[in-house]
Amino acid sequence: MSDYIVEMRNITKRFPGIVANDNVSIQIKKGEIYALLGENGAGKSTLMSMLFGMYEPDEGEIYIRGEKTQIESPNHATKLNIGMVHQHFKLVSNYTIAENIIMGMEPMKKALGFIPMVDIKKANKEIAELSKRYGLEVNPEDVIEDVNVSIRQRVEILKMLYREAEILIFDEPTAILTPQEIQFLLDIIRGLRDSGKTIIIITHKLDEIKQIADRCAILNRGRLIDVLDVKTTDTKTMANMMVGREVNFKTDKKDPVFGEEVLKVDNITVKNKDGLPVVKNVSFSVRAGEVLAIAGVSGNGQIEIADAITGILNVDSGKIYLNGNDITDKTVRQRIDAGIDYIPEDRNAVGMVMDFTLAENLALKSYYNEPFSIRGILNRPAFDSYGNKLIEKYDIRSSQGNPTIVRTMSGGNQQKAIIGREIEHESTFMIFVQPTRGLDIGAIENIHRQIIEERDKGQAILLISLELDEVMNLADTIAVIYSGEIQTIADAKNLTLDQVGQFMMGVGSDE
Amino acid sequence: MNSIIIDGLVFALPLFIMAMGGIFSERSGVTNLALEGLQGFGAFTGAFAAVMIGTVSPDMSPTAIMLLALVFAVVGGVLFSLIHALLCIKLNADMVISGVVINILSMAFTEFLTKLINAGIFNMPSNKFVLTVTDKITVPGISKIPILGAVFTNLYIFEIIIAVIAVVAWFLLYKTKYGMHLRASGDNPHALDAAGINVAKTRLFAVMISGAFSGFAGMCFAYSISSSFSSTIYVGYGYIAIAALIFGNWNILPTFGACLIFGFARSGGYKLVQALEMPSSYQDLVMILPYVLTLVLLIFFSKRNRAPRALGVIYDKGAR
Amino acid sequence: MNKNRIIKLIPVFTVLAGFIVGGIIIAATGSNPFTAFWNLIQGCGLAPKASYAGKKGMITDLLSFIDLWTPMILASLSVAVAMRVGLFNIGVSGQMLFSGFIATVVVGYSGLDAFIAKPLVIVVGIVAGAFAGGIIGFLKFKFNINEVVSSIMLNYTFSYVISFFINTFLVDPVSRQSKAVSAASRLTLKDVELGAYKMDIPLGIVIAVIAVIVIWIFFNKTVSGMELKAVGLSNSAARYAGMSVNGNIMKAMMIAGALAGLAGVTYYLGYFGSIQPRVLPATGFDSIAVALLGNNQPIGIVFASFLITVLSKGSTYMNSASGVQAEIANVITGIILLFCACNAFIKWYIANRDTTTKKGFKRKSKKADKDGGAIAEADDKKGEV
Repeated sequence: MSDYIVEMRNITKRFPGIVANDNVSIQIKKGEIYALLGENGAGKSTLMSMLFGMYEPDEGEIYIRGEKTQIESPNHATKLNIGMVHQHFKLVSNYTIAENIIMGMEPMKKALGFIPMVDIKKANKEIAELSKRYGLEVNPEDVIEDVNVSIRQRVEILKMLYREAEILIFDEPTAILTPQEIQFLLDIIRGLRDSGKTIIIITHKLDEIKQIADRCAILNRGRLIDVLDVKTTDTKTMANMMVGREVNFKTDKKDPVFGEEVLKVDNITVKNKDGLPVVKNVSFSVRAGEVLAIAGVSGNGQIEIADAITGILNVDSGKIYLNGNDITDKTVRQRIDAGIDYIPEDRNAVGMVMDFTLAENLALKSYYNEPFSIRGILNRPAFDSYGNKLIEKYDIRSSQGNPTIVRTMSGGNQQKAIIGREIEHESTFMIFVQPTRGLDIGAIENIHRQIIEERDKGQAILLISLELDEVMNLADTIAVIYSGEIQTIADAKNLTLDQVGQFMMGVGSDE
Repeated sequence: MNSIIIDGLVFALPLFIMAMGGIFSERSGVTNLALEGLQGFGAFTGAFAAVMIGTVSPDMSPTAIMLLALVFAVVGGVLFSLIHALLCIKLNADMVISGVVINILSMAFTEFLTKLINAGIFNMPSNKFVLTVTDKITVPGISKIPILGAVFTNLYIFEIIIAVIAVVAWFLLYKTKYGMHLRASGDNPHALDAAGINVAKTRLFAVMISGAFSGFAGMCFAYSISSSFSSTIYVGYGYIAIAALIFGNWNILPTFGACLIFGFARSGGYKLVQALEMPSSYQDLVMILPYVLTLVLLIFFSKRNRAPRALGVIYDKGAR
Repeated sequence: MNKNRIIKLIPVFTVLAGFIVGGIIIAATGSNPFTAFWNLIQGCGLAPKASYAGKKGMITDLLSFIDLWTPMILASLSVAVAMRVGLFNIGVSGQMLFSGFIATVVVGYSGLDAFIAKPLVIVVGIVAGAFAGGIIGFLKFKFNINEVVSSIMLNYTFSYVISFFINTFLVDPVSRQSKAVSAASRLTLKDVELGAYKMDIPLGIVIAVIAVIVIWIFFNKTVSGMELKAVGLSNSAARYAGMSVNGNIMKAMMIAGALAGLAGVTYYLGYFGSIQPRVLPATGFDSIAVALLGNNQPIGIVFASFLITVLSKGSTYMNSASGVQAEIANVITGIILLFCACNAFIKWYIANRDTTTKKGFKRKSKKADKDGGAIAEADDKKGEV
């Protein structure tokens, strides 16, 4: 009998073209909080996916409670009392909380004494009890699409507990939460540990590890770098080990020099497809040389603000001005030509036509002008020479250069291409939405530097980000949005992280 | 008035069961434009069985033959639906294209086979299977009630069967474990998979139900509309059933309402041509009623109604 | 490299598979499939028949084949254009019927001179077709109506309404079809005697050739074509880049409709000369097979439409020569279609087959594993540079 509840020995896992895990061994004790730290693509999620039975390792062995086990499926993992909360929740949006939790293990009853049917009343009662027991208050009869992400995460946790999981895996659980919600979650995780559960948490946030983890394994490019005792190690050391070099947490920047007002959003309201307002009477303005960041929890209307400014969505009321001109009723293209650049949140679905070539995508905002086309006929050589120029300047790497289909490129290089295209496009105002999502630290530093460079050149910049660190690092001015309404706009120097977090939850700071 | 109700139901009920099959398939996430082809193929197998049985044992009652034909139609519909299931679930084909392809294939196959069988087995060059007329049922007592009584007058047996199946199907979809899994599969198959349930199997069964229901419906149309099977069975009823389930917002009860509207509009139109004593070529104008009605209703309902979220999305475990 | 070549050959395998299955069915019914397929080719004037009736020869059959091939090319281009913007235009038959009927009524019975009538037929065909296609586009972007459902509904509506007009006002009591259009308005010169043979000269093929070239240029060389493709590939990216999604859907459906309209006039005022009530042209449905088989590319469509037309045109002669049911042609088309629908899977299978075998090889020894890993990593880097 071993001391460890989970042991993964010499695990290697390959995917076409990449070694996701290279001879990794970890050992986890019962009742501890064990963190897996690493950048995107370091192999943390892959490792845990194998523990949860989603993949099989190419090599190596897994021991659960001292017994060698081949975990064949998530179902099998569940039977071994292993549970996992995925980064992307797996919930049925039009089902109630209780229905989501019981799915696959439904309490049954007999209609008319012989026809089996789902006993939803019993389910509601069981879930209410379960949620009370672990301090995860939810109303079992609420429908998923009506509750916020924090509640949805509780549902995911309850799903594991309903299945009597003893080993709980959390994949980046705090990425989508406000600081206050994060604290609440960390308390819950501590509580779970104290009631005897074993916790594995995947993250790249060092301060959280410092707060709750007992031990921490650091992965880099698929290899296990070290396993540390969290109490005796400082975050700086962990960060350097994670990245494999010195890390600068702060982007160097000069004090801003503000110019004329470039963008003015005057009391706009935007409605969604169902006719409900998602942006309510929002006003703000951005000056030349200023980075204004909108902070907020995902889904509070910030994307809609960006889409309204660029013309992708229509405003229901209110006005938008660019350099003093009313652009409220202009088309998307007229606004692009007037000088608005937009780095969208979803680079795959929005920022590029994934099945077009790199050259075509680099010219996606100028193909209809000379020299790219002359009287409606495309001029291919112009695409190629422009493409070469941007590829060189922005270090965009691809297999074949211009003719590469962008779908085959890596996320980081796709983002480089988009940012390069937008920076090259003549403009006075730029919108960045989640510009560093899913990128590794090196790429993030690079993009942050580019944003500040553009600011210093006199661009007005609107940054929309869910990453509070990014907001605090880059912004000159911070606006916080909650439920479609701006809660506050203030000089970045006058706001603390905690204050921003409170505004993000719609609770105004007392000061 | 009575004949409008009687004829309307004869059309509406098979349409309803076919639409219900469509609901099962689409609520599980599999777009099913193949209903048209499935009902045709079901009608073909059913009609072929009916003609064979009639030849082998001429003494069997027409009603018994009809019941057997319905069973064979269900089997035929299920078998043909497996192609759609294979393409959409296993081979990651575009579900819309798969549906249309199956419709074309069904028409080509049944037309070819009907001729071949008639020439080869029954030794006569014909492109149809002729069905025997069956008795209809009038429920004593209730049928005497004014207007409402027409609902219980001159019923084909299949109308009663459909009513029973509808109740069972409703219970299955909304109250049982399987129904719960099926609907989850059409909203977020990843959630279903995470709950340890096989998405492919859930969807396969849903598509097979749609095949069974469509095959049944096709056989009903073959009996009630032309008393025969030929390629004239392919006149777009499958697509009308899809329109009906879209108005019904992918739910069984409102879809039933939509089917009734189609049925009564059709029978009412015919009645009108008769009543006004118009020449026969004017019938063509009545024929367009269900199609135009479909378009008009779609104009009002398409935007408001919400399709299942994962409808038409191939389930890929890796994608999120 | 090799993989790409295999992927390009998929349509060839698809066709082969269709013919093999068809051949097996023919053999099962007791006929010789090779004779039957040879009959198909003979029936299209691509090979000599054993004997010909007076004044008829291979050239007669060939020209008649081309006359039927013309609308097939145009109809398939229509499906392809719509497919490029992400719409499935299954309404080609309805659009063909509609434009053919309008041109018949407006020009076919007018008594205009050939010099005016023939160009006018083409113009009417384009306009009427664009209108019919436009309806589907409009219903799609304005009311979000699935284009497959709306096209089918329109198909039947057109079919019955036109049938009503023909049967009530325009019927030829002998043929039970619409009265024949004037020779001046026809896009096929009927019964021209050249040397020893009598033949029909298909003028429409010129239109088809021009259409193929124009559509090719449109997609590969023009700003409009690029925008249309972008909308088809990603609605949201196209909207982000400032393209009008609705405008492009409308544009694509009107072009598709216009092409179907041309197919309609070359079919009804070219090949046939009259309209059969209550029947939708099979060309409209066959064109779906052609477009899928031709991968929605103009050049691919030329080849694919040739093949499918051989099937449909040659099947009559096959039936009379070897007694095989003519309907087998549709069955073969259907099976080809079925394999086309599996294209995505076949491509995926070919693309992934190599990696699976490689993995199997890698697993053999630990050392080989390490090397394999290094190579994989190097490959990955190569991909990046």
